[in-house]
Amino acid sequence: MANIENQIFSSYQKNPELYDEIYDGEGKIKEVYQKLFDIYGEHSISDYVNLNSKAKSSFFNQGITFQVYGDNDVQEKIFPFDLFPRIIDPDEWDIIERGSIQRSKALNLFLWDIYHDKKILKDKVVPIDLITSSANYLDQMNGVNPPGGIYNHISGTDVIKHKDGKYYVLEDNIRCPSGVSYVICNRTALKKALFGVFNHYQTHTVTNYAENLLELLESVKPKGVDVPNVVVITPGMFNSAFYEHSYLAKTMGVELVEGRDLFVENDFVYMKTIKGPEKVDVIYRRIDDQFIDPLEFRPDSALGVPGLFAAYKKGNVTLANAPGTGVADDKAVYTYMPQIIKYYLNEEPILNNVHTYHCSRPDELKYVLEHIHELVIKPVDEAGGYGISIGNTLTKAEIEKVKLEIKESPRKYVAQPIMSLSVHPTYIDETESFEQRHVDLRTFTILGKDKEFVLKGGLTRVALKRGNLIVNSSQGGGSKDTWVLKKQ
Amino acid sequence: MSNEYKITYKTENTYDNWVNNAYWQFLIIPMENNTQHDVNVEFSNSLFADNEYSINGFGFKTIRVHPKIKFKQINFEAQFSFRKDDIDPFDFPLDLDDTLANEKIKEFDFKIDFESFLKRTPLTTLPDGTSSIFIFDPSNSIFKNLQNLNHWTFNHIQFKAGVTQVDTELKDVIATRQGVCQDFTHLFCAMSRKNGIPARYVSGYLNQEHGLIGDSQMHAWAEVYIPLVGWKGFDPTNNIMANTNHIKVCHGKDYKDCSPLKGIIYSQGQNKTKYSVKVQSQQ
Repeated sequence: MANIENQIFSSYQKNPELYDEIYDGEGKIKEVYQKLFDIYGEHSISDYVNLNSKAKSSFFNQGITFQVYGDNDVQEKIFPFDLFPRIIDPDEWDIIERGSIQRSKALNLFLWDIYHDKKILKDKVVPIDLITSSANYLDQMNGVNPPGGIYNHISGTDVIKHKDGKYYVLEDNIRCPSGVSYVICNRTALKKALFGVFNHYQTHTVTNYAENLLELLESVKPKGVDVPNVVVITPGMFNSAFYEHSYLAKTMGVELVEGRDLFVENDFVYMKTIKGPEKVDVIYRRIDDQFIDPLEFRPDSALGVPGLFAAYKKGNVTLANAPGTGVADDKAVYTYMPQIIKYYLNEEPILNNVHTYHCSRPDELKYVLEHIHELVIKPVDEAGGYGISIGNTLTKAEIEKVKLEIKESPRKYVAQPIMSLSVHPTYIDETESFEQRHVDLRTFTILGKDKEFVLKGGLTRVALKRGNLIVNSSQGGGSKDTWVLKKQ
Repeated sequence: MSNEYKITYKTENTYDNWVNNAYWQFLIIPMENNTQHDVNVEFSNSLFADNEYSINGFGFKTIRVHPKIKFKQINFEAQFSFRKDDIDPFDFPLDLDDTLANEKIKEFDFKIDFESFLKRTPLTTLPDGTSSIFIFDPSNSIFKNLQNLNHWTFNHIQFKAGVTQVDTELKDVIATRQGVCQDFTHLFCAMSRKNGIPARYVSGYLNQEHGLIGDSQMHAWAEVYIPLVGWKGFDPTNNIMANTNHIKVCHGKDYKDCSPLKGIIYSQGQNKTKYSVKVQSQQ
């Protein structure tokens, strides 16, 4: 086999237990990767050491950073970028894209229903306490009709490839999913480092995200507004995703604001400018529900705008995503996705769900407590990979602690079999070589009244620690440029 | 018969240091409903800032004030005048057959439709082991059970101002057996909800000219939903049904949905607040 001579991969260790994205079932390089593999093979490892450090400093210089919470000293870190891209062929992408749209649409119909007739609850497809005991269900949204009927304008769907070669969805993120700016930055960085590789592939662009997002935001403008004034609101520069907020505002050509830059007068929202107040019609908000308006929600929130919710409810301003959307971004709701899709769309789910055990159900709780070592335990309402326990990595004492936590508040936890995320060759600094690392994929879906768009790319996240299964940036993950190939 | 009401609501706020920015939202306007008509509102503040009328997340009218100058003191004064019809709390057949109502409250769809007013909130959660301190008697009608609950709540708690706060939980109220109208109402709502009867917290004013007990500020009572009858007001602080003397402003799951004044004050140091409410009626 010609592959062996490839110097870059000469020391690449292939664990037969894992699904490696670049090899087929017989251990041969997949056709779509062959060219890339050959081109990379023409370089020496020292070239990569060089390119890698250049890419890193380029990210720092552009300020493409994030922050990790929970450490005493909050640090700005770059999101490590890997030079070896992931390639998704058109047929596989077709499944991911259709599956992402299907889920977004179903979730939107679900949200409409639970804030209106509540048919899905009355038909007992989804248990009522899933809604009533959720901290993210907003009574204030009952009976509210968001412009265009859209709640989850922007969704981030996390999918993985299991060792059976099939895609599974791990999570639907519909509060304020982040990461799309990295998709675009990764592409730019790779083009800078290894421009030549793009000559050999017909890759879909990812730079059209901002124009699609702006088009969506303008399409859900309030009634009676001709040309809407769109802004992006951020919690501020100390938020972990601040870079992204500023990036999106910049690329859409709209203002980036904080709560203190806006005010509400007679139920209309205005932005303070040096030329005087300017009316705001559509807000892409990257602030959680509880913080958007201290007069309606958390009174101690300094991030929001007093009176914003009343202006929203009156229809004078549009918020994306709609308040109350978070109730469907709940790991317990996730487990009902196949039923939710079937109920509203009368379709079979295109993407698989991972089987989930509900600790709120006595028989399933019993199973979970007895099988913790082979399960992933997840709190239902935490984002960013916080609070996740992976059974086979826990010590005996840790298992007991987890058991105790579950028994104390079973509703708070769900459990899933440990999925074997596919692996992908990834350049590792410490060993100066390519090694297998687990990857997932976050897709970005935009949903409008007559519009659905999935960014043809998405964010491939890499768990950089060997054997680690959690890919979130806050948990020490990196990312890869992700190519979706055009149909030949 | 109807009554002409006049309510004066005043508050004075003084701050140690300059306040550069502040927002207030008042939820104090008597609502218009089938017994409260022609509500006229006069509202003023000592800084002559604009008063904005808006609707909060639960559909009730608010007044919002956002002064554009810095200050150390601000006073508000509201005057409401309106007509209130005489209420006969017993305007339904008391001998109503309860079989249907009892079936209704067990229906799944009913539980979903009234979910907001059946669920426990932090302020209406009964502490463990106390849910049987009052028990509905299945041989009684729903209405009779609620009357008994009203009576029981009235006897179980001693009215005493200053013992509890607006965010005092029921475990403390049940432990001390003292409190004010909010606490009576939270306890009443919790017990009613536990027995499957939707109950909502009502905030409003009480005409104390006839010797009823209440705070000198705003009053609280409960409304419960009896199938085939509708929402009925109970005032456990006074062991009566809500009547012509109860002027409703708004309702919600508990005090938190109804707090009469929300303020976002950007200032440091101490502040003092004084309130007064005067309710006058004329037949």
